[in-house]
Amino acid sequence: MIIEGEHVFNGPREAVYEMFNDPNALATAVPGMQKLEKIDESHYEGAIHLRIGPISAVFAGVLGLTDENPPESCTLNVEGKGVAGFAKGVGKVNFTDLGDNKTLLKYSGDVNIGGTLASVGQRMIDSVAKSMIKSGLEKLDKTLEERWQQK
Amino acid sequence: MAGKIFGQPVSRLEDKHLLTGRAKFIDDIEIPGMLYAAFLRSDYAHAIIKSIDVSAAREHPGVVAVYTAEDFGDYWRVGPLQVPPPTAIKGSQFSARPLPPIAKGKVRFSGEPIALVIAESRYIAEDACEDIIFDAEPLPAVIDLEKAWEDTSVLVHDDLPSNMAALVKQESGDYEAAKKQADVVISKRLVPDHVIGGAMENRGLVVNWDEGRQELVVWATTQAPLPLRSAIAGRMGLAENQVRVITPYIGGGFGPKVMTSQADDVLLPWVSMQLNRPIKWIEDRRENFLATTSERDQVHHAEMALKKDGTILGLKDVFYHNTGAYDPYGMTVPLNTQTHTVSNYRVPNFYTEIRMVFTNEMVVTPVRGAGRSEGVFVMERMMDAAAKELNMDPVEIRLKNLLVEKEFPLNTGIIGQDFVVGVLDSGDYKNNLEKCIEAIEYDKFRKEIQPKARKEGKHLGIGVVTFTEGTAVGPYEGARITVGNNGLVSVSTGYSTQGQGHFTVFAQIVAEQLNVKLDRVKVITGDTLHFHWGAGTFASRGATIVGSAVHSAAVMVRDKALSTASKFLEVPEEELELFDGTVRVKAHPEESITLGELAGRANPMRGAVEADVKPGLEATAYYAPPHASTGSGACAMILDVDPETCKAKIERFVLVHDCGTVINPLLLEGQIQGGVSMGIGNAFYEKVVYDENGQLLTASFMDYLMPQATDMPKKMEIGHNVHPSPLNELGIKGVGEAGALPPPPAFCQAVEDALYEYKLDITESNLNPSMIYDYIKKAK
Amino acid sequence: MTKLFPVKVTVNGKVYERQVESRLLLSDFLRHDLGLMGTHVGCEHGMCGACTVIFDGEPVRSCLIFAVQANGHEIKTVESLGTPEHMHPLQEAFHEKHGLQCGFCTPGVLMTVVPFLEQNPNPTEDEIREAIDGNICRCTGYEKIVESVQEAAKKMSSGD
Repeated sequence: MIIEGEHVFNGPREAVYEMFNDPNALATAVPGMQKLEKIDESHYEGAIHLRIGPISAVFAGVLGLTDENPPESCTLNVEGKGVAGFAKGVGKVNFTDLGDNKTLLKYSGDVNIGGTLASVGQRMIDSVAKSMIKSGLEKLDKTLEERWQQK
Repeated sequence: MAGKIFGQPVSRLEDKHLLTGRAKFIDDIEIPGMLYAAFLRSDYAHAIIKSIDVSAAREHPGVVAVYTAEDFGDYWRVGPLQVPPPTAIKGSQFSARPLPPIAKGKVRFSGEPIALVIAESRYIAEDACEDIIFDAEPLPAVIDLEKAWEDTSVLVHDDLPSNMAALVKQESGDYEAAKKQADVVISKRLVPDHVIGGAMENRGLVVNWDEGRQELVVWATTQAPLPLRSAIAGRMGLAENQVRVITPYIGGGFGPKVMTSQADDVLLPWVSMQLNRPIKWIEDRRENFLATTSERDQVHHAEMALKKDGTILGLKDVFYHNTGAYDPYGMTVPLNTQTHTVSNYRVPNFYTEIRMVFTNEMVVTPVRGAGRSEGVFVMERMMDAAAKELNMDPVEIRLKNLLVEKEFPLNTGIIGQDFVVGVLDSGDYKNNLEKCIEAIEYDKFRKEIQPKARKEGKHLGIGVVTFTEGTAVGPYEGARITVGNNGLVSVSTGYSTQGQGHFTVFAQIVAEQLNVKLDRVKVITGDTLHFHWGAGTFASRGATIVGSAVHSAAVMVRDKALSTASKFLEVPEEELELFDGTVRVKAHPEESITLGELAGRANPMRGAVEADVKPGLEATAYYAPPHASTGSGACAMILDVDPETCKAKIERFVLVHDCGTVINPLLLEGQIQGGVSMGIGNAFYEKVVYDENGQLLTASFMDYLMPQATDMPKKMEIGHNVHPSPLNELGIKGVGEAGALPPPPAFCQAVEDALYEYKLDITESNLNPSMIYDYIKKAK
Repeated sequence: MTKLFPVKVTVNGKVYERQVESRLLLSDFLRHDLGLMGTHVGCEHGMCGACTVIFDGEPVRSCLIFAVQANGHEIKTVESLGTPEHMHPLQEAFHEKHGLQCGFCTPGVLMTVVPFLEQNPNPTEDEIREAIDGNICRCTGYEKIVESVQEAAKKMSSGD
């Protein structure tokens, strides 16, 4: 499943990139995220409670950051497994300075899902993913605003 | 050939118990001390198993045992095949990879069982499955058929050089020579697509090892009780008379329930013996979608050579067939495709090649039609393509090439699923079509109805196709008839029943011969203790093969009744007749003896009898056909298609069918209507979809759309042609799968005709509004 | 020790009191706790209709209801319609018109049709098809089910 999109953040690129590298910021942004803990410099361990159609289950997994090119881009690798199936995804995020303390985020990723999640929930996954990303970005907007205000 | 009961539309004997909810199905069986099984199944379609940690599951309260492949020790074995390889076909190559009972080392399809939990309730067993930690290294999945044939970088079976499961070539005549004479050659890539059986009742098994009696009783939703018994006895090292397989009422079969080597079939008897407890396993719907078998996933490269007047010179068909991750059922399905491609028409030169491929999908076995549907689809689409190319009416080109009565019997030169060369035995295929187009008022539609509709902006289209159905293949079936002392007649056969009305239809044959009331005949099917020889319910064999065996046995009992009565009444046999459960003297009907009394006299409990005594009023008979008997028919449907929503409504539906002699016209209609509803589902709505990682995306009725009451035409207009088969005394041909065969190609033809302005060229079945929309977009 | 909850439910006119887990499905409760096996389970996700029972007069999917939700309510299953010796006119009609083959979906169809005919004793064919649209049958193709319901409507309105 291909996921693509754009979003404009009200903040300078460095601040946005830093936020994307902060597990606390990400953890609160993603709906259903139960925990996200740093294992090492570029790996986080986490658990997320997903609700997709008739499926409601916890997926445990690892989030890794590669090709880090601050503050321009990086690649996120996610692998999660649970009783209700598994998900594996790779997403590239790109940050462009739009000037005027605004940053354009471009994201594009490919997610493969399997197990019960795929076999009974696949028709809903598209819309659930979109809504998760939407509310995630809204949360990040708020987080960024708070942090930027503090500065 | 209709008699008093035979040939009459009598209501069924089995209805009362089914209608009142009293009939016992597999999940209704409760045995004291019963434990419940649940399988953990692989999410991955293709992966190397690293570890399966069941320790937490074993500790789960209420769990009695948890098994993985290693726990079965030497009992874990792969094989044998359920259907032998096609060695009868010269030059055939076949790699036997039977189904493993539970995954070991590697998983090869999503849904393959990896662990078995036995617990005090089904709920607890399923809970404990969630405690199992399964670690595997996922591999890329082999999904695309044509790619799988060529690409050896990913192998489903690492010990094979490629993903080729089989290569079978057959030819009658010489296609390449015929092609040289052709005025026109049509080539097409056609895709008949993937469906499930979709019985309303899922599979289930109840096993009870009785340690005290050293007996294993197995209740199974199986279409093949006797092969299942042999398989279990063989695997368990028991004598066949220590294993009893009983079929309860079964909620639909349709093919997939013919397997005898699924995980439950193999493992649960062993577990029952180990734990000394009865074990029940009931499949849930998702498991049924994932791991109970499915069918029709082929890619055809077909080529037809014709003269410009529409005469077919030859057909060449090279096709890829998906067998799934394993091939326990041999080549039955694709061989049926080979024998049903040209079988309707006069095609003197035919080359057909099966390229059977392993994929990381569930195993493929028959689903109502069992490969025939694909052959019919391909040929009918080719006929339509030829008609378009030659500017001929699709009916006209068919009338020109259809076989007629005087051409039978016709040796097809192609070996079928029964490993003998096919012979078309009876029928008049051209006449089927003539009757069909008359019934649907074809000329009127073309000349009046359609033009009028088009003027009004309505998109009405008609599709007319023909088909044959090879039925009643060997090896044989048998039946035993015994008249009891109270005059009730017991009939037993090893065949099994999933709703076809066997309890009535076989009783009709007996009641006719013995001249007793229908409800005096009690038929038992699918209990290996009652009858222990037979192959199983598939290929529409019941009416023909079991019917013939029942008939022979009934005639033998009848003869014995007359000869026994002749002795006791001291009247020559010619002066006797059977009447309403008695044998009486024709001239003096008051002189009679009941069948019950005769039965008693034929089985005295005291005194001396002849040394070569054959006790009772009883006979056992078997029937083995020399080859399949072939039913045939023609089908027409008128569709109203909305080019914007791409919804299609069936306005009229006609099916003319020839299944020879009819035992029960009411039940026959039911069989045809049921088959048609599956065919309509196959044409529009149903589709098994795997993604490129081998994940099954259609594993529930939310995504796999079964046809509903409002999807059916208002009335299926069914007509009959009767050409009795010369192969059996009653002249019967099978009909169980007939209805499912023609709707998909008829639907395609009708959609193309309805949306005429777009000049669509539909090359696949299992359509839906989105697909039709895409075709329209492409054409614009 | 799993927590159990009391359930008091009237089924086919008889009152049953049991202690059940909260997650026990009504379909499983009827079949295995009460031994009323006539209600069949085809899909466990509310699509096929085989598990249909009448709940306070309305047809419902018993596979989508928990047994605890039935506490204090009235349920009718296929066993309430008739016996093999004395079938309900609806069952008679199905028998005469060959409205069943394997019989697995049949109890669900019957329990959908009973309240339907109560509300609509003289239905058109379209109305019948609409009413049974939520019952999947793989065997019959529905035509003889529709004819059976039409016959039943005739029988029942003439007071047979």
